[in-house]
Amino acid sequence: MKKSIRTVMAALMATTVVAATTGFATADDKPVIATVVKIAGIPWFDRLETGVKAFQAANPDVVATQYGPATSDSAQQLQIVQDLVAKGVNALAVVPMDPAVLEGTLKRAMERGTIVVTHEADNQVNTMADVEAFDNSFYGAALNERLASCMGKKGKWTTFVGSLGSRTHMQWVGAGEENAKKYPDMELVDPNNESFDDANGTYEKAKELLRKHPDLAGFQTSAGNDVLGVGRAIEEAGLAGKVCLVGTGLPNPSAPYLDSGAITAIGYWDPQKAGMAMNAVAKLLLEKKELKTGMDLGVEGYNSVTVTKGAGEGLLVIGNGMMLDDKDSYKAHLF
Amino acid sequence: MTLFSTGKARTAERDGDRLGFAGFVHKYPETVTAALLVVICVVVAILNPDFLQPSSLIDIGRASVVTGLFALGVFVILAAGGIDVSFTAIAALTMYSITLLTTSYAPGLPMVLVLAMAVGGGVLLGMFNGFLVYNFGVPAMIVTIGTQYLFRGILLAFVGTVWIMALPEQMLTFGRAPMVQFTNSNGAVVTLPLYVLVLPAAAVLTWWILNRTLMGRAIFAMGGSARVAERLGYNLRTVHLFLFGFAGALAGLAGIIHVSSNRLANPFDLVGTEINVIAAVVLGGARITGGTGTVIGTLLGVLLVTVINNVLVMVGIPSTWQRFVVGTFILLAAAFFVVRQRRN
Repeated sequence: MKKSIRTVMAALMATTVVAATTGFATADDKPVIATVVKIAGIPWFDRLETGVKAFQAANPDVVATQYGPATSDSAQQLQIVQDLVAKGVNALAVVPMDPAVLEGTLKRAMERGTIVVTHEADNQVNTMADVEAFDNSFYGAALNERLASCMGKKGKWTTFVGSLGSRTHMQWVGAGEENAKKYPDMELVDPNNESFDDANGTYEKAKELLRKHPDLAGFQTSAGNDVLGVGRAIEEAGLAGKVCLVGTGLPNPSAPYLDSGAITAIGYWDPQKAGMAMNAVAKLLLEKKELKTGMDLGVEGYNSVTVTKGAGEGLLVIGNGMMLDDKDSYKAHLF
Repeated sequence: MTLFSTGKARTAERDGDRLGFAGFVHKYPETVTAALLVVICVVVAILNPDFLQPSSLIDIGRASVVTGLFALGVFVILAAGGIDVSFTAIAALTMYSITLLTTSYAPGLPMVLVLAMAVGGGVLLGMFNGFLVYNFGVPAMIVTIGTQYLFRGILLAFVGTVWIMALPEQMLTFGRAPMVQFTNSNGAVVTLPLYVLVLPAAAVLTWWILNRTLMGRAIFAMGGSARVAERLGYNLRTVHLFLFGFAGALAGLAGIIHVSSNRLANPFDLVGTEINVIAAVVLGGARITGGTGTVIGTLLGVLLVTVINNVLVMVGIPSTWQRFVVGTFILLAAAFFVVRQRRN
């Protein structure tokens, strides 16, 4: 019942969105690069759109535009991608909601000659190139290293992931655990708590962890809202500055907790740069150029990318776009 | 058959000692919920004596406020034989819109007015549900699935999708004002916020409406049999508008408390927690088919769900097992109530 309502709504909304905006794009002969994000209108993908616009401004010889479903629904995203393929765009730059859902459509798109580039989907089989901001193990280890230095390389610490099924989050905390092995005095307790990206639930869980381990000294978190939940638990308990918290988060929402010292540091990548990099890769592929390790995509953080074989026939393009901000540095990157 | 359920309950109270254990449990299903709650707490305390700290109680009390307010609303609708799955969307829409309105246009608006606006907004959205259910005779399940999408769609499409981090001062004060505050052995400050009192107040009000007013009788009568209730002269239109409006009011209130305590208004919050709330109400002994249940049972159900969700780390159940454990508990309790209902 629910599903069918969603599908019908998805179809209707997606069709109107695409119909309303692609009309002009195909009117001239410039190649069209369509960026499709997970959800339109949330801060993360609004930021990505600024990258698409910046790319368009710098590359007048292509038409670059962004599309996205109104809610986080892989069926709606699929519908948009299908409509864009049917319209005959030259290249697709997709941030898949659920890579598996898009496999079939992306395969058909490539068979029709459409260039396919993805992002945040290093397990996507049917793509020509998947662009990642950084190596996940490198990122997880970097977060942990920051946590370790705050904790004085000793004490109990724990980890949060969005869900146990979230591959990247598990890679991050896994690399963190690996990194912490360097410090014999750091003791991992009750790891891999699931936050479901819900700040309130994370808050309750962090409280409970602090009660169970009164000497808990550090948290490494993964989903975007985790730092807000754990940060609030630390701040309310008057433990800001005493308990360390390093995790994935965005500067704007995290600002109050960074200022109070409840959040030690946040790690993230800039979706604006990722959007530019995706479009740059799509353009290179449109021009039939080869992607090579050490290549400069002309985007900050992607000046010397690593190119390896991806999950399928395509390539995995990894940048060096990790950002790690604390109280003193976040103000330069507010979004 | 449950037309005079309040009267019946009073008779049962008098006959309580003559019924024997099975009969007693049968009449008061909430005793099972209470027993389960006690058993869980004892087991947790044995496994990890650290559980026996005032801060545990405080955290559980605080964590049950929002779920509790939702549950009271669902309970009232369930008692009347309906169901509501849109209450989280009502809460999300009112809490975000009112926070946005207050932040942008009236940052100094007194907290009482903010709360009143939330309750008012909730009443309107709830009554819209009631209107659709009554006027078009569509099952409440279908209507509220539809309005859940509608309300959330309005929120995300027209109101906003951006987290509001800088809440107005009076909301922050409301979320922080302490009733009890002390410092733990490890130097951590433990706070029981004042807003926790909203839940008992709402519970007493709900109890009073259900057990001491004509509207309460009408609600239980409608839960027993809508046709009979109508023939008895109850105005079903008024009852529908009232009970969905009441559930909406509680949802609006829960939404503002969620924002104030969380210190951020996230439009993507709340929706998705309906099942947890409905499970709490059913675990409290209310029948999904309507006509029965008590406020105290509902509160016990809420406490049970909150406790289960908040002691898993304490006991050391790894994250992979947590859903398994919660699911098992819900099934066990539900199985008991189903058996009880068959015997009826």
